[in-house]
Amino acid sequence: MTAGTDHSGIFLDGRSNRKRSVTLRFASGLDIADQDTVIESWPFDQVRRADGPPAMLRLSCTSALPLARLEVSDPATQGVLAAYCRSLDAGRSPGQTWRIVAWSLAAVCSILLLTLFGIPLAADRLAPVLPLSIEQRLGGAVDKQVKFLFGGKTCTRADGQAAFTKLVEKLKDAGGITMPLEAQVLSSSVPNAFALPGGKVYLLAGLLRKAESPDEIAGVLAHELGHVQHRDSLRRLIQTGGTSFLIGLLFGDVTGGSAVVFAGRSLFDASYSRDQERAADTFAIDVMHKLGRSPKPLGALLVRVTGNEASKSIALLASHPMSEDRLALMSKDLGVNTGPEILTAAEWRALKGICAAR
Amino acid sequence: MNDTSFPFGLPPVPPPLPAGTARITFSGERRDFRRLVMRGAALELVTVGFYRFWLATDMRRHLWSNTAVDGDAAEYTGTAKELLIGFLFALAILAPIYLAYFLIGLEAERLQAFASVPLGLFFFLFAQFAIYRARRYRLTRTVWRGVRFWMTGSGWSYAWRAGLWMLLAVITLGIAMPWAKASLERYKMRHTSYGDLQGRFVGTGGGLFKKVWWLWLLMWLTGFLLIPVPFIYAAMRAIEWRWWVSGIRIGEVSFTSDLRNGAFIGLYWKVIGWCVLLLTVLGVWIGIAFAIGYVSIGGGTPTEQKFLLAMQQLPVLLMGGFGYIVAALAVGTVIRIYLMRDLWQRVAHSVTVENLTAADNVAAQGELVSALGEGFANSLDVAGF
Repeated sequence: MTAGTDHSGIFLDGRSNRKRSVTLRFASGLDIADQDTVIESWPFDQVRRADGPPAMLRLSCTSALPLARLEVSDPATQGVLAAYCRSLDAGRSPGQTWRIVAWSLAAVCSILLLTLFGIPLAADRLAPVLPLSIEQRLGGAVDKQVKFLFGGKTCTRADGQAAFTKLVEKLKDAGGITMPLEAQVLSSSVPNAFALPGGKVYLLAGLLRKAESPDEIAGVLAHELGHVQHRDSLRRLIQTGGTSFLIGLLFGDVTGGSAVVFAGRSLFDASYSRDQERAADTFAIDVMHKLGRSPKPLGALLVRVTGNEASKSIALLASHPMSEDRLALMSKDLGVNTGPEILTAAEWRALKGICAAR
Repeated sequence: MNDTSFPFGLPPVPPPLPAGTARITFSGERRDFRRLVMRGAALELVTVGFYRFWLATDMRRHLWSNTAVDGDAAEYTGTAKELLIGFLFALAILAPIYLAYFLIGLEAERLQAFASVPLGLFFFLFAQFAIYRARRYRLTRTVWRGVRFWMTGSGWSYAWRAGLWMLLAVITLGIAMPWAKASLERYKMRHTSYGDLQGRFVGTGGGLFKKVWWLWLLMWLTGFLLIPVPFIYAAMRAIEWRWWVSGIRIGEVSFTSDLRNGAFIGLYWKVIGWCVLLLTVLGVWIGIAFAIGYVSIGGGTPTEQKFLLAMQQLPVLLMGGFGYIVAALAVGTVIRIYLMRDLWQRVAHSVTVENLTAADNVAAQGELVSALGEGFANSLDVAGF
C-alpha cells in the first residue's frame, strides 16, 4: 500500500451495472473520481450506509440516484469515511425496537378495550334494532351446525311431545313471550339446554335424564325463554362475531393465533353472559312465581349437574356460568308451591321418555 | 499489511472456472442468523406479532447481503415500514371482503350445514394473487451491482392459471404437478427482468417429470408412511431446485446447479426432531396446566364433566395459550434456521453462473412497487421468504 492518502473504492452510478474503480477525495464533500475526473460529489452529511456484506462498507447518498453505490473494502478507508460522514446511520435510531414494542402494546390495549367495552356496547345497541327476520336467518345458520354437532336427532315421541308442548305453552303464557318460539328436545347425553338466535330453544335429553321433577325442567326452560325474550343469543352472536373478526384480522398470520383467539373468546363470552344469566334467572323465577311454583328446583338441578363444587367452578359449559349468587338468588325463595303441578305424573313420565323408541 | 496468516495453512483454492463463469457464494454466519431469528421470535411474542415485519426485513437483509454473485453481494432495499403500511392497506381492503365472505357463508350455511366451504376457493385464488404480488415487491427491492430486478404481469392472470393448474394436479393425483410448476414458473420468469435484461424460463414439465416420477411413485407405494416421506420429499425438493435453477435465463446469462439429491434430507430430519421435542415439551406443559386446573376444582375421581370443567379454568386456558404460542414461535424459528437459511446456503453454493459477461452492461430500468401484495400475503398467511 502506498501513502495513506490514496483511498479507492468501487462506484456504481445507479444507471447501469458497470463497476468503476474510483479514487476518493475528501474536499468540501466526498469527491468520487475516475482517473482524475470527478464524476460525482456527495455532501458528507448526505452519505448513508447501505446494506452490505459484513466486511464491506456500502454507501449511498440521499441526493444522488437511489441506487448509486460506493463500495469500500479497505478498513483504513472505511475509517476515514466514517470520520468524515457523520450521518452514516441517521434514521436508524437504536431505540427503534422499543418504539415498536410500545406501539404494539398500545395496539393490544386498544383492542382489549374495544373487545371488553366497545363490542358489548355495540351488541347491546344493535340487538334490539335488528329486525327479527335477520335474527331468524342467523339462527337458521347456527341451527344447522348445532344439529350437526349433536347428531341432529329431535325426540318426537307423541305423548312426550304433547307433555313438552303443554309445558312450553304454560311457560310462554306466564312469561308473556312476544318473540317467535320453537322448542325441541334433542337426543344427546350432554346435560344442557340452550337458546339460539331466532327463538329456537333446545333441551338436551341428558338434562331430562338428570331431572327429578317437572319443576326442574320448567325452571330450565323458563330460563332459556328469558334468553329468547331478551334476544341474548343474538347479542352473543354479534359479540363473538365482532371479536373474532377484529382479532382475526389484526393477527392475520400470528403463528397459531386463531387457537388463542378462540380460547380468549370463550373467556370473554363467559364473563359477558354472566349479566345476562342473572337476567334470565330473574325472568325464570318470575315465571315460576306466576305459575305458583317455587324456583328452587332449578337451583337443585344445576347443582346436581355441575356437582357439589359449583361454588368453585367457572362454568359447566361456557354458556351457563354457575355462581354462588345465582344459587343464592334461587334459594332465597321459600320454596312454597301455591299453584297446581305443571305436569301430571303421567305427563312427566311421558316427557322423560320422549326420546325412547316408539 | 503482510502479517495476515492463515492458522490452518493456506485456504483451499477453488478449482479455476472457465471464462465467463462465476460462482454464487453465501458468507453469512449461522450464529448471526440464529441470534437474529431467536431475538425476532422473542420480540414477536412481546409485540403480539407486529415485529414480524421487522424480522422478515432483517432476515432478507442478512440473506441478500451475504449472497454474492461473482464476488458482488446483493442488496435488499425493502424496509419494515413499507411492509407494515402494505399490511395496513391490505387490512383495509380485506375487511369488507371478510365481512362479505361472512355474510355469504351465513346464507350458504342456512341452506346446508358447512356449505360455505367452497367459498374457501376464492381465498385460494386470492392467495395466489398475493403470492405473485409479494414476489414482485421482493424483486423490486433486490439490487445487484447497483441495478434492481423488476417484474410486470398481472397477479389475477397468474392466480387463475395457478387455480386451474392446481385443479388439474389434484385430479391427476399429482402427475400434472411438474407441468403446473413449469407453466407457472414460465409466467413468472417471462415477466421478470434485471435492468434491461429480460428473464425467461426454459425448464419444461416433461424434464422435471422425468426426474421425479419415481419419487412420486414411491410416495404412493409407501402410502405416505411416516418414515420414508421426509426422505422422498427432501429429494423431490432438491431435484426441483436443481431443475428450477438450470431453467432460469436472464438475458443470455444461464445457471446450473450441482445440488445433490440428498442435500436437504438432513435439514428436514433436524426440523422433524426439533418439532417432536418441542411438541413433547408443550405436551408436558399443558399436562401440568391441566393438573393444576383439575386440583383447583377439587380433584377426585375423574369424570367427563370434570375434565371439561378443569379445561375451562382460567389458569389452564392462559397457560395453554401461552405454551401454544411459544411452541409455535419456536417451531417457526427452527424452520427459519434450517429450511430458510441452511437451505438457501446449500442452494446458493451449488450454483454456477454461466455467460455472466452478458450481464456486464445492464442499464437500470423498472419501477418500485408497493408492498400491498406482501400485505395480502401476510394477512392470508402465505408469505414466503
